[in-house]
Parts: sequence; structure tokens; C-alpha cells
Amino acid sequence: MRILQVNNLTQRFGQLAAVKDLSFEVEKGEIFGIAGPNGAGKSTLFDVITGFYRGSGDIIFDGRSIRGLRPHQICHRGIARTFQIPELFLTLPIVENVKVGAHFGGRGAHDERECINEAISFVGLQGKENVIAANLNLFDKKLTMLAGTLATRPKLLLLDEPISGLSPTETKECMTLIQRTQKELGLTIIVIEHLMKVLTEISQRLMILHNGEKICIGPPKEVTKDKRVIEIYLGG
Amino acid sequence: MLTKVRLMKLDRESITLLIMLAVLLLLPAYFHNDQYIMHILIMCLIYSVVAVGWDFMLGYAGIFTFGQFGFFAIGAYASGILTLHLGIPVPLGVIIGGLIAAGAGIIIGLPCLRLRGAYIALVTFAFHLILIPLINSDFGRAIGTGSTRGLLGVPPLAVGSYSFSVADKIPWYYILLGVAFLSFFAIYRITRSSIGLAFVSLRDSNKLAKSFGVDDFKYKLMVFGISAFFTGMIGAFYAHYTGIVSTRILGLDIFLMVMVMLVIGGMGRFPGAAIGAFIVTFLSEALRPLGEYRLFIFGAIVVAVIVLLPEGLMGVLFPTGRVGPGERFGRFIRRTFTRQPSKNSGKELL
Repeated sequence: MRILQVNNLTQRFGQLAAVKDLSFEVEKGEIFGIAGPNGAGKSTLFDVITGFYRGSGDIIFDGRSIRGLRPHQICHRGIARTFQIPELFLTLPIVENVKVGAHFGGRGAHDERECINEAISFVGLQGKENVIAANLNLFDKKLTMLAGTLATRPKLLLLDEPISGLSPTETKECMTLIQRTQKELGLTIIVIEHLMKVLTEISQRLMILHNGEKICIGPPKEVTKDKRVIEIYLGG
Repeated sequence: MLTKVRLMKLDRESITLLIMLAVLLLLPAYFHNDQYIMHILIMCLIYSVVAVGWDFMLGYAGIFTFGQFGFFAIGAYASGILTLHLGIPVPLGVIIGGLIAAGAGIIIGLPCLRLRGAYIALVTFAFHLILIPLINSDFGRAIGTGSTRGLLGVPPLAVGSYSFSVADKIPWYYILLGVAFLSFFAIYRITRSSIGLAFVSLRDSNKLAKSFGVDDFKYKLMVFGISAFFTGMIGAFYAHYTGIVSTRILGLDIFLMVMVMLVIGGMGRFPGAAIGAFIVTFLSEALRPLGEYRLFIFGAIVVAVIVLLPEGLMGVLFPTGRVGPGERFGRFIRRTFTRQPSKNSGKELL
């Protein structure tokens, strides 16, 4: 069963088409990887899906079109996202950061407190609840952001380069966390990542973008053997 | 034991507010014979509400508004006109004045929805500047602003058969003390509620707040409406206290004074703005003999406070170590002075 369907999506900035006539589908429960060089349009794609840009074409989530909705409405429909450079409410402690997600995105979660605690302990930040977000290191910042998105109780999670800037140990932890999110919480996840190696390891399917266009899509094993992909990545 | 538990529940903001209230309740015992000081105390109360309303927008919601005195003037004129020309009772006029100001706030908020930082400052300041010619124009005359002459003979506040007279400052002082502290309390409750959380989240990261389900348009308009309501309402009280409303209340000197109150009290540090109002008003009176040098000294104080105490007096009294808007503003200024432009210098303000 497909959860997200993107049809002929185009997003232009003046003359430049950051995303060009892009169509793809994401199946419920899978980890769907998106890779591609800098400027391939990966983050722009997330921005269009989550309502920050309008774009043309259609996006169908859970059977209903979400195009033209504003970001908070899309959150209420059940899509949550993280940002490549961590965005946080820096003056607030971790618990309040997560509370924003639980309160405004939680769509009437009957127990907000519990929802917050669950999200915080799921990412492993228990004990640090009252630390002000500005004083956190990069990894904890990313975890806080993730806890907040989980507190919005999403069905689909979009992760924008979750491991960039992390140390090897943190990268491993982060990958396990993403897999746990899929298995234990039953979420569908789309991950943007630079490093092909990470994506081939955690995702069930992979899409390669280049200059806003889809180069190929399929299971990681096939994609990594595709001629055009090798050309783009190794400069053929 | 029980009292101890109760005391624990009061946070430092409430305690500061209560101490302030206690001191202010007692002050007339010493100054009741001095009409001049009583007048200044009353003006302090009026300005403190303007300052707190401004801080609510600037410090909590992070919206760089310069339109607060526009709302103040609209409240003052609206209540003045309604009570003088239409004979509406003053207490009702004051509330309607606040509501009309809130309506104006929401209308000014609309073009600001898609704007950030300095652009909002420009739009709101343009609103402030437009008001003066509008009030003095034929249109202003038609709706009863009294044009350049000003609105004279605004009736004083009357509750039942009792009428407050400008000659007797004590009743005015206490009623405004009540109004000011009720306003502070209301605004403080809002900052502590989930609405306040929405404001802070939008200020800290607009993007993330939106993706966490915060409706940015709704809450931005709410900030404008709430802040304008309290500012307009206290503007209405001002009109009935002085009996005169003119475009002088839109003067830049008062505008800057209230801004200094915010900085000295501590931006985003409730109730710093209210304390700042008292300090600055009295300092300004004390420095009056210096004439024009007064502004120079004020300027120097503002620079010193921003650089050395970015969270103002509240930051000194209750250091938090958290990075507030005052701190960010201070960092921005310090960086500018020390010529170490960061990668995103200036972004803090936008």
C-alpha cells in the first residue's frame, strides 16, 4: 500500500528548476532513501512536500492531496520532518522543545505529558530534559529535533541528512535509531543522505536525484549498479 | 509548612511583580502631597503597560514592531471621541478603545504575516508615521479628532456617581495601578500558557514551529491583537487622565523613552519592562536640569546596557544563562563593535 504519491512535481526558482517533473511513490512502512549530489533538489523536494514551497504537480498523502496546504496543516495530516542544519527552539529546554510538537502537532494526543516522555526516552535523551537547547551538542540537537517530530505523532517521517556532521559512533547510533523508528513505531521514513553507504544499509528502496530529475529508483543493490548513477557519483 | 509549599509555587516573575506592587501601593503614603511626583508615578504606570505590551511582541514573540504608539494613539482617540462626542460612559469607552486598537493591530499584522524582522519594523513604523497626518487631515476632523488642535475636554473617568478629577491624583494613581497590574498579570499568564509557547517557538525557529504544527499566521495575528489591546486600553486611560489628546503622543521622544525602558528593564524578561518604565521615567526627571544633554546620557546608558547587560536589569537580578533575544541583540552589537563579523551576522535581528 502506498502512503505517498508524488506526481509530476516541479519547483522553479526563477529560471532554475530545482525539482523537475518528478514522480515517485513511497510504500507504507518502508525506509525510502533519496541520494544525489549537492544541488540535486533533495532538500527542495522536502520543502515542497511539507508545504514550505508550493510547486506544481500533485502530492497525494494517505489518499488525499496535500498540495497547497500550509506547513502546520501538513503536520496535522501526519507528515513530520527534520532539517539538515538542526532547527531548535534554542531558548527552551529539551522538554519544552518536544512539548511544542506534542501540543501543536499531536492532534489531541490524550496524554501530552506521556507523549513527551515517550518521545524523549525513545531517542535516549532522558535525564537531559531540562537542558536548554542552545547548550546541546550537535548530536543531542538532532535527537531533540527528532523527539519533537515524533511527538507530533506522524505517519510519515522525512529526515534531511540526519547523520551529516556526526562522528562514526554517533552515526551508528543514529542509523539504529532510524531503524528502530521504522520497526518499533511503524513509521514510514524518507531519508535524504549524502553517503550512499549509509542509505544502502538502512533503506529498502533508493532514488537518485540529479539536477532535480530522477535518475533511477529501486532496491539499493540495483541502484548502485546503475551506469548513470556511477557516472554522477564518480564523475564517469 | 503549607505556606512554604505555596511560596514555592510562585515563580520569580510573580514574586518580583508582587514586591513591585507592594512598593507602589505604599508610595503615595510618602508623596501624596506632591502633585508633581504623583503625576510622574501615574505616567510611569501608563508607560509601563506600553513597555510590557511592546516587550510581549518584541521580547516574547520576536516581532520587531515599532507601531505600539500608533495603537496607544488609536485607543486614546477612539475612547476620547466616543465619550466626548457620543456620550458613551468612560469605562465602556476605554474597553472599546482597546478593542479598536486590537482591530487596528490585527489589520497591521496582516501585511506582516509574510515578513520578517526589519521589514516588520518598517511596516509598523510606517503605520505610526501615517497616523499623524491622518489625524490632522480633513478625514480626522470628520471623525472628530479635533485635527491639529487636538481633542480637548475629554471627560474624566467616572464610576457610578464618583468622578476622577485630574486635580486629585491619588484615586487616579490607584485605579491605574490596578489596571496596570491586571494587564501585567494577564500578559504574564499568556506568556506562560500554550499560546505563549507558540509565540516563543515561532520566535526561536519559525520553520520548526510550523513543521511542529504551529499555525504561524493565527498566532502572529494574536500577538498583534493582544499587544494592541492592552496598549490601546492604557492609551484610552491616558486620554481620560490628561483630558487632552494630541498627536504629541506620537512624538519620537516618548517612543524612544519607552524603547530605553525595554532595554534597561530587560527584553523578553518579564516584568523587566515595567521596572524599566519606573527607572527611566524617574531618571529622565532627575536629569531634566541637563536639558538636551539628557538624551546624550540616555544614549550612552543604552549602549552600555546593551553591551554589558544584554538582559537588562532582570538579567542582573535573575541571571538565567539562557540565550534570550536581549542576549542575541547584545551579541550582535558586541560583534559589530569588535569587528568580528560572524557567518550570519545580522541574521539574529532578522
